[in-house]
Amino acid sequence: MDSALVLRGLVKQFDGLTAVGGVDLDVPVGSFYGLLGPNGAGKTTTLSMAVGLLRPDAGAVAVLGHDVWSDPVAAKRLLGALPDSVRMFDRLSGSELLAYVGLLRGMDPSVVDARAAELLDVLGLSDAGRTLVVDYSAGMKKKIGLACALLHAPRLLVLDEPFEAVDPVSAALIRDILHRYVAGGGTVILSSHVMEVVERLCTHVAILAGGQIRAVGSLDEVRQGRRLEDVFVSVVGGRVATGAELSWL
Amino acid sequence: MAVEQQAKAIHFVRLKLRLTRNGLRGQAWRIVLFIFGIFAGLWAALGGFALFTGAGVAGGDAGLVIVTFAGAGLTLAWLLLPLLFFGVDETIDPARFALLPVPRRTLLRGMLAAAFVSVPALATVVALLGLVLGAAVRDGAAAAVVAGVGAVLGILTCVVGSRALTSAFASMLRSRRVRDLAAILIAVLASSVAPLQLAVSSLIAHSDLDRAGQIARVLAWTPLAAPYAAYVDVAEGRLLSALVRLAIAAAAVAALVAWWWSTLESATIGTASGARSSSSASDKKAVAALFPAALRVLRPGRFSGLVAREWRYWWRDPRRRASLVSLMIAGVVLPMVMRASVRVDQSRMPLPVAVAFSALLAALVLSNQFGTDGSAYALHLLVGVPGRVELRARACALALLMAPILVLVTVAVAVLTQAQSQVLAALGVVAAGLGIAAGTSALLSVLVPYAFPESTNPFAVSGGTGGLRGLLAVVGSFAALVLLAPLLVFALITHGLVAGLVVLAAGVGWGGVGLLLGTYLAGGILDRRGPEILAAVTPRR
Repeated sequence: MDSALVLRGLVKQFDGLTAVGGVDLDVPVGSFYGLLGPNGAGKTTTLSMAVGLLRPDAGAVAVLGHDVWSDPVAAKRLLGALPDSVRMFDRLSGSELLAYVGLLRGMDPSVVDARAAELLDVLGLSDAGRTLVVDYSAGMKKKIGLACALLHAPRLLVLDEPFEAVDPVSAALIRDILHRYVAGGGTVILSSHVMEVVERLCTHVAILAGGQIRAVGSLDEVRQGRRLEDVFVSVVGGRVATGAELSWL
Repeated sequence: MAVEQQAKAIHFVRLKLRLTRNGLRGQAWRIVLFIFGIFAGLWAALGGFALFTGAGVAGGDAGLVIVTFAGAGLTLAWLLLPLLFFGVDETIDPARFALLPVPRRTLLRGMLAAAFVSVPALATVVALLGLVLGAAVRDGAAAAVVAGVGAVLGILTCVVGSRALTSAFASMLRSRRVRDLAAILIAVLASSVAPLQLAVSSLIAHSDLDRAGQIARVLAWTPLAAPYAAYVDVAEGRLLSALVRLAIAAAAVAALVAWWWSTLESATIGTASGARSSSSASDKKAVAALFPAALRVLRPGRFSGLVAREWRYWWRDPRRRASLVSLMIAGVVLPMVMRASVRVDQSRMPLPVAVAFSALLAALVLSNQFGTDGSAYALHLLVGVPGRVELRARACALALLMAPILVLVTVAVAVLTQAQSQVLAALGVVAAGLGIAAGTSALLSVLVPYAFPESTNPFAVSGGTGGLRGLLAVVGSFAALVLLAPLLVFALITHGLVAGLVVLAAGVGWGGVGLLLGTYLAGGILDRRGPEILAAVTPRR
């Protein structure tokens, strides 16, 4: 078993429109996988199906050998996720939210207390005290979401746009945490449309556009000596504006 | 170059129609509901039309009484029902216009025009045409003109009043400092319904036209009924008092518009939710912090964690807080009113019946429990919380909140209305009612979940779901009432201490079975349909 996450023929349609049209993906254990794509490419839809939030019309998902849809309990124990499009129970304070997640996961209360305090400390959220998560800034919300995903020490992390709205200092911190997590044997798959992030962090890359994988492989295989951004633009379809338009600006 | 075009009220109307249409697209059940709503509106419109026409044609004292009571009832219904039950349609959210260069005057006109494009508003228009017709048939053209002006002022009072009241309320509940005040205000509103109902029902019971006439004459000088009564003055030749009544109505409309204007202003500025207490970092442990003091006796675990979070949410989530507070008030007021006013065969309404509705109402608040959480439910799906554990924990949290209140109310009402002998049976009915209604709600909540808009207005519903909310409440309470009926009948036909104890034991058992069975069935559905329920309660953006 060398894949942490396996997607096979995932299909999802909304009202007759195909959002994801047959995605296959193998995320090796210990890899740092970047899922790239323009807005509306189907990244969030794919990852939602991968973590069990959205039922695929067709296809299968396995987390470390456990099928997410037929054996959800085992799969979800190994999985930590940071969804982008959903709310959290945001009328709890940061530590209350972490305690809640820990208890839901069936963790020992004393372990929950210790890990929650450490996570809040490392992520710089201790100062927020009893502020409710709903009043957090966007970056702080990302960080508490990440803390919720990390709390039970999962073997696979699925992160949807983890760096969006995060300030550079926090981003560096999150990168550091994720690096150490991967070095310790964990696996990360994250989605992004920011090339720099993916180029700096990831060992593997898949480019998704129009609900299909357009390019996939290790970072060097996909780049083939070019800049990732150039590869991305040429794979996705490229820019057609020449600058001659909008002359009235 | 005419690149810019002034925004006009018609644009808002078109926006509302378009949003309504898009909301219905591809969702069969919404279309069915929408059509159901149209039929209900049509029925109400024709009923109101007949009532107002009949009153006009009848004329005299009876006519005046009917017109003023119907008018006041209509206005009160517009003002209070959105607060208590239906919510207000927030298809067009004024906050969305904050960044657009729309003058506030245009915004106000547009929002008002859009507010008229709704089934209740159109139904009211049709009903009020009856006022004009009745006046024209009996009293001629002049009266008809006054009736028409009155009808316009009346419906403006209704529509603007309900908008202003709900948005003012929403901003009150948003700020923590005044939330206690808001709770008191709801209490006042809710309890103001009770004496009114008392008065009307006793008037009907005694068919006392003279006293009704006195009350009608007072009501006709308040903004509640003044616009509807004005034409009666014309018919009787008192032109001046007709004008004064219209002026009262117009002043009320102006005041309401000004009030709405100011709340709109704060909505478009997007008042940040009041600064929350971010006092010194709590040095409490995380798990201990999650549990409210009253629940610290529970051993921390998955079930108790869920219960603790539900408790926190009943108070911290404005939408839940609003329904909890109105529920508590209704739970107190309803049994009092039923004991005090409704009479069956010259004896008072039996205590078990009087408290049964409070118990049913209390648990039916769970009938869209996933909708109130919205997409936050994703966390439970990610973790894989078993459906039965989840539903039982939610029911348990509510029962821990409501049961003490219901017991207190039952005992208090019994003592106040000299029904001590019925206390045991009534408590049994309360236990059964809570359990059965919680079980029924669990099933409803997994079978027909629906989304609330992501709005800070706790009374907001998205286009078309206001009707659903009402319909579900009716279906749920009817089903629960049918299940409760055997016990209720038994409690009514038996008397004495032993029988009371039997009813109490049977009620606890019956309620327990209802709760366990309901959550057992619903939990299985929840385990199978989790992602579909998440999709249903996620607000569409």
